[in-house]
Amino acid sequence: MSVIATPARQRTGVSARTVNRIVIYGLLALFALFYLMPLFVMLVTSFKTMEEIQNGNMLTLPQAPTFEPWAKAWGETCVGLTCAGIKGYFWNSIKMVVPAVLISTLLGALNGYVLTKWRFRGHTLVFGLMLFACFIPFQSVLLPMATILGSLGRFGVTLRNATGLSFGLGNPTVNLVFVHVVYGLGFTTLFFRNYYEAFPTELIKAAQVDGASFFQIFRRIMLPNSMPIFVVTVIYQFTNIWNDFLFASAYAGTGDAMPMTVALNNVVNTSTGVVEYNVNMAAAMIAALPTLLVYVVAGRYFVRGLMAGAVKG
Amino acid sequence: MAFLEIAGLKKRFGSVEILKGIDVDLEKGGFLVLVGPSGCGKSTLLNTIAGLETITEGEIRVDGRTINDLHPSKRDIAMVFQSYALYPNMTVAGNIAFGMEMRGVPAAERQKAIDKVAKVLQIGHLLQRKPSQLSGGQRQRVAMGRALVRDPKLFLFDEPLSNLDAKLRVDMRIEIKRLHATTGTTIVYVTHDQIEAMTLATKIAVMRDGEVQQFGTPAEIYNNPTNIFVADFMGSPAMNLVPATIGGNGSGLSVVLQRDGREPISLPLADPPAGLSAFQGKPVIFGVRPEALTDPEGAERNASNIATADCHIEVIEPAGSDTFAVTNLGGKAVVARLRADAKIQPGTVTPLAFNLTKAVFFDPATENRIL
Repeated sequence: MSVIATPARQRTGVSARTVNRIVIYGLLALFALFYLMPLFVMLVTSFKTMEEIQNGNMLTLPQAPTFEPWAKAWGETCVGLTCAGIKGYFWNSIKMVVPAVLISTLLGALNGYVLTKWRFRGHTLVFGLMLFACFIPFQSVLLPMATILGSLGRFGVTLRNATGLSFGLGNPTVNLVFVHVVYGLGFTTLFFRNYYEAFPTELIKAAQVDGASFFQIFRRIMLPNSMPIFVVTVIYQFTNIWNDFLFASAYAGTGDAMPMTVALNNVVNTSTGVVEYNVNMAAAMIAALPTLLVYVVAGRYFVRGLMAGAVKG
Repeated sequence: MAFLEIAGLKKRFGSVEILKGIDVDLEKGGFLVLVGPSGCGKSTLLNTIAGLETITEGEIRVDGRTINDLHPSKRDIAMVFQSYALYPNMTVAGNIAFGMEMRGVPAAERQKAIDKVAKVLQIGHLLQRKPSQLSGGQRQRVAMGRALVRDPKLFLFDEPLSNLDAKLRVDMRIEIKRLHATTGTTIVYVTHDQIEAMTLATKIAVMRDGEVQQFGTPAEIYNNPTNIFVADFMGSPAMNLVPATIGGNGSGLSVVLQRDGREPISLPLADPPAGLSAFQGKPVIFGVRPEALTDPEGAERNASNIATADCHIEVIEPAGSDTFAVTNLGGKAVVARLRADAKIQPGTVTPLAFNLTKAVFFDPATENRIL
């Protein structure tokens, strides 16, 4: 290590690092471009007229931007045989996703609370089995779940005959909520258990001494301090359930309760006349918007929450 | 009848016995400190009193009422936790009032109680803040406020000062002592810090491995430790525990301490404990606290049994208020506590005065005190 060599090495070191940076960021930018390309094409196409699409280049910006495809997708386009746009199906999805997300998240929080703060004999086994639920492939539960939903539907009919109320049993939206809650529980429990594992137990003890009950502690102490993991779980569940196509098409694939994903598929597959790419793209964008929105609104908690769960537990 | 009585208390987790039969009691207005090294069961004992842990055997009575199976909130206790355990989502006022809220106390009454406690603890200006906006000492105060507001029969403190820095710890220690003196509450306090135990307690229970080693007043624990563990654990710097033999010359007993390369020191005992004569010619552990081993001029004048011996000083530690001198006796480093201005040099041989009135002897086999 000579006196002269050191600055020289430093100089080459700096320039090498700059080159490295350029290569890394260049590659990242390239990948980002590549990844954003479909979104870009969808977006510009959705604002073009059919004429422009048929004549022009996919990547050019719309010459005369128009909202007409969006309006048509929302209110007029044909889904299968009915031509009233996708708006009804959009609300179908909302009606299904919101309860499914809230119920599965709250139950997951409750599970996590019990599995960390009210431990019972065999709690690890229960948690292990719940984790196992995360690894069950969707396809393998399709038929058994159909059987269960069928039984529930028949029970709903019996119930209605007896009491006049079916309590939603047999309703396809309720069925989907049920399926997504059951399937989501493994994940939500995992998230909350790991978060609550690092949650100070002394707080629970203090609340007990203060006279708070099991559910009072849950509602007043645990939930208000669970914001980061709550957001993570809601984003995760919302994205998964909103984007689900398999369960949606299997259990509500026809009829009025059809969710957005299935409806979108039917819009694109409707083969009458010209394929209206602009309308299709607009419909797809509308279908993707809620998940995007949820991520943008709550995204900054997402990373923080993931880290919080990861450090300890 | 004592105010708090714990009788034959046992706690087992599976086959592991955490508490092996605890018998402790405390008078009304007393301050009981449970002290011991980590894992000695002191916190578990406190949690059983709080009702946060179930007990396997035995009984806990407060004011004559057995509280074994009562829910924590029904025991009329309040607890201050090591981490303070303030609810992060509530304001200071909310934290203090949470217990009252759970018991359905009307809002106006809650406000009155909050104001009263805030005044006592001088936290009035903090009431609308969240715990994250408070300093360590302020959090500590709020945690105490949450306990005080209940006006319980029994206060439980679980190492409340261990998260504070040294200076603040001393301040808060004094504050707790003042609080105890002014409110006259009954307190059970867990700590591993023997200075906290000595300064705060009216009664100390020194614990090890789920057993109470000694139970008594701070002075009893300090001056008359029942075994080597208690002698070693209480006091700072720790008691010198030197292997020695008991010599006798017909008229009286003496304690003989070995020295490196020189003839042993023999210190005559004027008033030896009765049990010591059985150890004549046998090894014992000679225990003498650093303040009972000093320079001849600094020795207690009215002590009846002072013996002086020349010792080789190895190290000098000036601590400001005192000077500690380290010598070697019986193969162990022995600390003597001298006046701050004592003229003493390391590497020299200096006479040291042993205050044998304060000396204690232990049986090396059983580790128990020879009485």
